[in-house]
Amino acid sequence: MRVAQEYGPFMIQLNFLPQFPLDASPLALFGLLLLAGVIGGELVRRVLRLPRIVGYVLVGLALGASGLNWLDSKLLTESWIFVDIALGLILFELGRRLDFAWLGREPWLAATAVLESALAFAFVFLALLYFGVEPLYAAVAASIAIATSPAVVLVVAQEIKAEGQVTERALNLTAMNSVIAFVSSTMLLAWLHHEYRASWATVVLHPVYLLAGSALLGFGASIVAMTLARWLRKTERGHLVVSLGLIVVTVGAARMFELSVVLALLAFGTLSKNLDRRHDLLPVDVGWIGQLFVVVLFVVSGASLNAAALATGGTLALVYVLARFAGKSLGVMSLTYLSGVRKGAAGLLCLALTPMSGTAVGMVHRTGQLYPDFGAKLAAIVLSAVLILELIGPVAVQFALKQAGEAAEDK
Amino acid sequence: MSSAETEFKPSAGCTMGVELELQILNSRDYNLARDAADLLELLGKVGHPGAIKPEITESMIELNSSIHETHGSLVTELRAIRDAITRSAQRLNLRIAGGGSHPFHLWSERRIYPTERFKHILDRYGYLAKQFTIFGQHVHIGCPGGDEAVYLTHLLARYTPHFVALSASSPFQQGEDTSYQSSRLNTVSAFPLSGQMPFVHSWSEFREYFWKMRGYGIVESMKDFYWDIRPRPEYGTVEIRVFDTPLSVERAAALAAYAQALARHLLKDRPRPPSREVYLLYNHNRFEACRYGLGGKLIDAATGRQVPLKDDVLETIALVAPHAAELGGFVALRELESQVRTGAGDAEWLRRAYRERGTLSDVARLQSDLWMGLARPAAR
Repeated sequence: MRVAQEYGPFMIQLNFLPQFPLDASPLALFGLLLLAGVIGGELVRRVLRLPRIVGYVLVGLALGASGLNWLDSKLLTESWIFVDIALGLILFELGRRLDFAWLGREPWLAATAVLESALAFAFVFLALLYFGVEPLYAAVAASIAIATSPAVVLVVAQEIKAEGQVTERALNLTAMNSVIAFVSSTMLLAWLHHEYRASWATVVLHPVYLLAGSALLGFGASIVAMTLARWLRKTERGHLVVSLGLIVVTVGAARMFELSVVLALLAFGTLSKNLDRRHDLLPVDVGWIGQLFVVVLFVVSGASLNAAALATGGTLALVYVLARFAGKSLGVMSLTYLSGVRKGAAGLLCLALTPMSGTAVGMVHRTGQLYPDFGAKLAAIVLSAVLILELIGPVAVQFALKQAGEAAEDK
Repeated sequence: MSSAETEFKPSAGCTMGVELELQILNSRDYNLARDAADLLELLGKVGHPGAIKPEITESMIELNSSIHETHGSLVTELRAIRDAITRSAQRLNLRIAGGGSHPFHLWSERRIYPTERFKHILDRYGYLAKQFTIFGQHVHIGCPGGDEAVYLTHLLARYTPHFVALSASSPFQQGEDTSYQSSRLNTVSAFPLSGQMPFVHSWSEFREYFWKMRGYGIVESMKDFYWDIRPRPEYGTVEIRVFDTPLSVERAAALAAYAQALARHLLKDRPRPPSREVYLLYNHNRFEACRYGLGGKLIDAATGRQVPLKDDVLETIALVAPHAAELGGFVALRELESQVRTGAGDAEWLRRAYRERGTLSDVARLQSDLWMGLARPAAR
C-alpha cells in the first residue's frame, strides 16, 4: 500500500519488463539462426536431395538483404563472432589434414596445387582483361579465385562421411590453394598500397606482418596445444577442450592483432599435426561441435550476399566462374598421370575444387575496408560469383565424392 | 559337371606359400581406411613382386607369395612385396599394418569390396560379412597327392593350438581388450561352414563328401568351406588358416617354416594314424590357445594328459628341428623358440604398446610402423 501511495494509485511501474523496441540478444540470434538454418537445410535435403548447406545459404538469402532484410547489417555484425568460431574450427580441422610428410612422398600433389592455382589465376585474369576490366581489379579478383572454400568442401565431406583419395586430395589442395590465394592477394594489396600512394614501408611491411604474424600465432598455439596435451596425458575429453579453447583464443588473437584468421588457424592445425613428432595430441573430432557453428556460418554468408548484385555483376561473374573452373581443371588434369590417383578421379577432383565462399567474401571485405572505392567495384564481380558458387559448389562437391564412391552408405 | 574341381593337382612335397591379409589404415587417426581399390590400381601401375588382391571389405588387401622351398627365399620375397606395398601406400598417404584385428574400427562402418563373390557373401551372411574384416595368414604346404593331403590335414589338426598361439595378434577388437590372445577366430566360428574337415580316410572319400555337399547346393567350390585346415586340390596343397596375420613379414615367414618342417615330419615319419580323439578335444584345445595363447593348456589326444601349451610347442620345435635343418628353415625355428621362451608374442607386444602409449590409435600407428619397417628394431 505504501508503494501505491508514494507513486499514486494507478502508477504501478513494471520496470522489470523489457523496454521496447527489444535489444537483440546475440544468443537468441544464434539460436534463431541455428533453427532457421536447420529447417532450411532439412527441407532442401528432403525435397531437392541437395546438400544441407544449400538450404542454409537459401535461408540466409531469404532473411538477408536479398529477401526480408530481417538480418540487417547490424545483426550481421553481431553474428560475426559465431562465424569466426565456425571458420576457426573448419580451418583447424583442414590444417590437420594437410600432411607435410605426404607432400614429401607425393610431390606431384603439391605441384598440382601450385599449377591449378596459377592457371586459375591466369585464366580469370585474362578473361576479365578481355572483358575490359582494369588490370589491377582483374588481378585482385583473380587472386581471390585461387581459393577453394575450405568450409564447403570439409562440411560436405563430413556430412556424407566421405573418405578416400578424392576426398583427401581435395582437402589438401583446398588447404594449399587457400594459402596461395591469401599470399598472392596480400602481395597484390601491397601493390594497391603503392597505387594509392602509400609509403614503401607499408607496401613491404604489411604483407610481411600479415604472413609472418599469422604463421607465428599458429605456431605458438600449436606449441601450447602439444605441451598441454602432454601434461594432460591421453584423455580425449581434455584434448578436445584444449583444442577448442586454443582455436577460440587464436581466432580472437588474430582479430586483435589484425592478422589473418584463415592463415593463423591453418597454421595452428597443420603445425599441431606435423610438429607433433611424439604424437602427444590426440586426433580430436571437433566435427559435431563444428556443425552448430557451420549452420550459422552459411546462413550468415547467405544473408551477406546480395542477389541484386547479380543484375550488375552477373555476366562478368559467369565469365569469372567458368574461367576459374577451366583453369583449375586444366591444372589438376595435366598432372594426374604423374600422381598416384586413379583414372577418372581427376575429373571428380576438379568438380570438388569449385566451391567459393566465406574466405572470398572476407578478402573482398578486407580490400573494401582499406580502399572502399576499389572494394565496391571488386565486390560486384566477386560476390556475384560467390553467390553462384555458394549454391552450385556444395552440389558439385557432393556429386564428386559420391561418384568417386567415397561417401558412406545411405542407411 | 566336371570333376576338375576335386582333381588333386600333385605338387612337389613340402613346398610352401603364404597368403597375408593386411589392414589399410589412414594416416590421420589410424582407423581403417577404404582405399583398397586405389592402392591396388597404383600397385598395378608401378608393378610389384608376388600377387596382391582385394579382400572382403575395402579396408583390406591380401598378398600372396609364390611357391618356395626354403625359408630364406620366402622371407626375401615377402620383404620385397612388403616394400612395394609400403611405397605405394605412402604415395596415397595410407598405412599398412599386420595383426589379426584392427584395434578399434567399427564393423558397421565397413564397406564390401565390389566384386560378385563378395557381394554374394554379404547377401548370404549379412552382418557377418562386414565382421569378417579380420586378418589372417594362410600357409599352403605342397602335397604329392590327395591321400597325403587328407592324412596331413588330420594330423595337423592336433597342432592347431600351436599355430593359433604362436601367431596370436588380435587382443583388441572394436575398441576393447577382448581378454583373448587371438579374438579373430571367434569371428570365423560364426560362419556355418567353418570348423574342421569331416573324418574321411582317403581322397576318394573326400571327393564323395564334396560332391554330396555340392549336390545339396551347400557349397559351390572348395573356397566355400571355411575350415581351419583344408585341402586345396587345385593348388595341390593343404592350407592352414588359423594363423592371425603377424605384425611383421619376418614372423609370417618363420611361422610358415614351422608348418613346413612339421608337415615334412608328419609326411615322412608318419608318426601315427589319424585319430577321432583329436577332433573330440579339438574345440577345447583351440579355445585354450585363443584365450590364453602359449599360457594355455593342451590335452594331448595320444596320451590323454594335460600339458602346458608352451612346453608342447617347445618339444615339437625340437622334434621337427632336423627337418627344418634339411629344408633350410633352422634359423626360423630358433627365432620362434626364443619368442616362446621370452614371451615376446605379438599379442603381448600390442598390449604393451597400449599400456605405454595409452590409446588404441597409438597402437594402430605403432603396428603399422612395425609392418612397414618404419620402426626402429628396438621398438620390438
